[in-house]
Amino acid sequence: MPRIIIDGRPIDCREDISVLQAALDAGGDVPHYCYHPGLSIVASCRLCLMEMKVPNPRTQEPDWSPKLLPACQTPVRDGMEVRFHSERVRENQRSCMEFFLLNHPLDCPVCDQSGECWLQDYSFKFGRAESRMIDEKCKNPKKDVGPHTLLYQDRCVMCTRCVRFTQEISGTSELCVVNRGSRCEIDAFPGKPLANPLQGNVVDLCPVGALLDKQFLFRQRVWLLTSTPSICAGCATGCAIWVDHNQGTLWRLRPRYNPGVNDWWMCDDGRFGWRYVHDGKRIAAPRVRRGSEQTTPDWAAVPQLVRFRIEEHVRRHGGATLAAVLSPFMTCEEAWLLIRVLRDKAPASTLVLGPVPTAGETRHFPVGATGNTVKFTIQAEKCPNRRGIELLLAAAGGNVLTFEQFAEQAGKGEFKGAWIVGGYPQPWVDKATAKLAAQFELLIVQDIFENDLLPGAAIVLPACAWAEREGCFVNARGLIQPFQRALNPPAGAQRDGQYLYEIAGFQGLYSGVRVRAMMAEKIPAFAQLHEPPPMPRHAH
Amino acid sequence: MRDYEPILLRNVGVPEARTLKGYEARGGYRGIRKALGSSPEQIVEEVKKANLRGRGGAGFPAGLKWSFLPKDRTITYLCVNADESEPPTFSNRLLMENDPHQVLEGAMIAAYATRAQVAYIYMRVEFHEQFHVLQRAVDEAYAAGYLGRRLFGHDFDLQVYIHRGAGAYVCGEETGLIESIEGKRGWPRIKPPFPALEGLFRRPTVVNNVETLANLPHLIERGAAWFTSIGPPHSTGPKLFCISGPVRRPGCYEGPMTITVRDLIERPEFGGGMLPGKRVKMVLPGGVSVGVLTANELDMKMDFADPAKYGLLGLGTAAAVVVDTDTDIRLVLRNLARFYALESCGQCTQCREGTSWMYKIAARIAAGAGRRADLDILEQTARNMGMMPGLSICGLPDGATYPIETLVRKFRSELEELIGQQEPARRDAVLQTVN
Repeated sequence: MPRIIIDGRPIDCREDISVLQAALDAGGDVPHYCYHPGLSIVASCRLCLMEMKVPNPRTQEPDWSPKLLPACQTPVRDGMEVRFHSERVRENQRSCMEFFLLNHPLDCPVCDQSGECWLQDYSFKFGRAESRMIDEKCKNPKKDVGPHTLLYQDRCVMCTRCVRFTQEISGTSELCVVNRGSRCEIDAFPGKPLANPLQGNVVDLCPVGALLDKQFLFRQRVWLLTSTPSICAGCATGCAIWVDHNQGTLWRLRPRYNPGVNDWWMCDDGRFGWRYVHDGKRIAAPRVRRGSEQTTPDWAAVPQLVRFRIEEHVRRHGGATLAAVLSPFMTCEEAWLLIRVLRDKAPASTLVLGPVPTAGETRHFPVGATGNTVKFTIQAEKCPNRRGIELLLAAAGGNVLTFEQFAEQAGKGEFKGAWIVGGYPQPWVDKATAKLAAQFELLIVQDIFENDLLPGAAIVLPACAWAEREGCFVNARGLIQPFQRALNPPAGAQRDGQYLYEIAGFQGLYSGVRVRAMMAEKIPAFAQLHEPPPMPRHAH
Repeated sequence: MRDYEPILLRNVGVPEARTLKGYEARGGYRGIRKALGSSPEQIVEEVKKANLRGRGGAGFPAGLKWSFLPKDRTITYLCVNADESEPPTFSNRLLMENDPHQVLEGAMIAAYATRAQVAYIYMRVEFHEQFHVLQRAVDEAYAAGYLGRRLFGHDFDLQVYIHRGAGAYVCGEETGLIESIEGKRGWPRIKPPFPALEGLFRRPTVVNNVETLANLPHLIERGAAWFTSIGPPHSTGPKLFCISGPVRRPGCYEGPMTITVRDLIERPEFGGGMLPGKRVKMVLPGGVSVGVLTANELDMKMDFADPAKYGLLGLGTAAAVVVDTDTDIRLVLRNLARFYALESCGQCTQCREGTSWMYKIAARIAAGAGRRADLDILEQTARNMGMMPGLSICGLPDGATYPIETLVRKFRSELEELIGQQEPARRDAVLQTVN
């Protein structure tokens, strides 16, 4: 482990990183735009210049270098000494910030980036209060570079992070730099708009308000948003994300640093795939059928009602005729509670993993990458927790079936009752499934949207979207990733975890942590959670 | 110097020297034949001993540059920098259009010394005529077996390609040139790694200027001792000087690096004096990027050491522009600033934003709406952009700031006087159009 001295302070840092990264890791606030640990080094913003001790060519005594060196381009070497707290370094930061703002429109009041803008932050910390330029600014154009993205070129600081992202991570190279000098522009190649499945990341990468997400544009001021750490439920990769929401409304998703899983990125399917959360057609209240009529019971009565109907069914038909279909959209905790309820009342009951939705093939990025060169993966499996449900089913033992086996046996009339959990964002109940369900005497459905199962259901329980759930998902690589609840479910609904907790006979508020502690006693794997390290405070 | 016999320019004005036969008849291709008799290492040593410094502008010793190549290299490239984009410079052009085989022979010797098997001649696109002349020479050399495989019966292969740029000043910077040959945007690379370790197509690469290479045949043929006998010890060998502006004989001339700027303007074999009625106000002695000299500073020697004493960046391309007393200094300032604002590649912040800011200020001063504060801003901006040691990836901003800073500093009182004489109505009108 190399030990370097930054501003007189010895710092032990990782091997093979830049001095800039070492300084950021150690909590230092070194301004930078073009540097990003996930991208190649271009050292073009010249903000992170530092002084380094080098041997004086005449005396061979170590002395501060006459030339300022870019910290992002200088690798750490054991024993090296650098400094950022010097007048020359500060002078360069001051003059750089002046240069950055010369042609910047200063339209912060109408800029989406305002509040999370590194031009604002660095101007405040390192810049000067007023501009000395009285001449007209260069006005580079605003343009539409892709179906999801706008480019306000006048705000650009030419860090070229977006260009490098499309070259190095997505591998699609849609963006390039055109023109020279202060007329330099980022642009998409003619006829090839920025439309790759990872393009949303360029908006996050942009340190200023040049690249903008059309869906988010002018919707929210970012300082009103609360960011809750979560896990994307879009596919089995399990990207760590931030859910940005304000007063119960979700506004955007952003990737959260998670080395080895999604690094700094996420795909557009996940990024834009949350709209169903606020769909007005969601099931928002429980329903109970008596005869041909469905009524809405009081939530307080639901746990007992459910327990009673299951006990009644077991008494009349035996526990072996009962099955539970668990959805790969459930958290492990919810699934564990449901298994506990069912196996408690009917130890011979059957557990089934619900349909696993897939779309196309698993895609690796950069396009064409294999093995070690893969930097990002979009899984074909479009659900977050198949592995978690399988883990729980294996731990539960007893009668466990695949969905196909279940359908076959149910077709033969072997089941008389079922608890079917949905929660799929897309319609998932086909005619065959609906027909099967129609023959059950007791059907409990837990789902998010209306479908053909509901008319025949004895009890309907509203399910939650992932942003309203709390617990953990097990991703394609088997990492158990916990996440927090960001939103409340729609008015009238309760969280799946809460009512399952109560049905299972517990009292009080459901908490993923508490349930996980109980699970870990039975299934040791759940004691080993994967939680990514935080990004250094001053990194972006 | 009286009996100085041109060496590099000896074939200028001899049309048949453009052909391989004519060139050989006049003593050509003797240098490469002699070079092939010794080992590449011996050639490098000879060039080091001769202290041949690069003629492209920075004056880096050519032999030293070659010796940075890694010993265990397999593929080496030679890039011939024929981009010659420094404003008043036309010495490479003269060499390529009058004596193309001399350039090729130099390239052959450099390729042999560096064990390069492929040479790219990177030529600016504006050199149409020169391209055809040089291409004809390359074709001739291939046809005669002077290029290709097993040259002159030795185990030495060389392919030469002429690559034409698309007209960017920054592509004359060696890593910008390399990127451009690779088909990329001509953005200079971050160093290290230097091209000697990782250059063209990520292989060890040497980039040499046309004039540097043109020296090699003579250096090898006549030896390092002869070479060092010309000029002072730190600036050896023959050198081409260009002179333009209101002088009697603008053009490109050859001489040792013992002459002064005054010699270049006044002496009959060079500029031949000013045009009638013209007086020197200012000289930009080494291409525009090194800075300006006042009429009192004409005793500066045109060598690699003296310019620093006058606050200049260096010798540059040794192409002097003379500005006379009838010229409005504000227009000179604007013209200089405009060039760099147009040619900054846009990669580094200081250069991208600073050059255009300086141009805006210079243009406003030239339009008659300058403020005294603008002169301070120009000087400060020049320093903030980095002047030796620079703050950017390449040396372009150093070259952009030296002429502006030296001009504003050395002619400040005159600029202030001009600003004081501005017509108020005009000044206010221009200022209103800005902000």
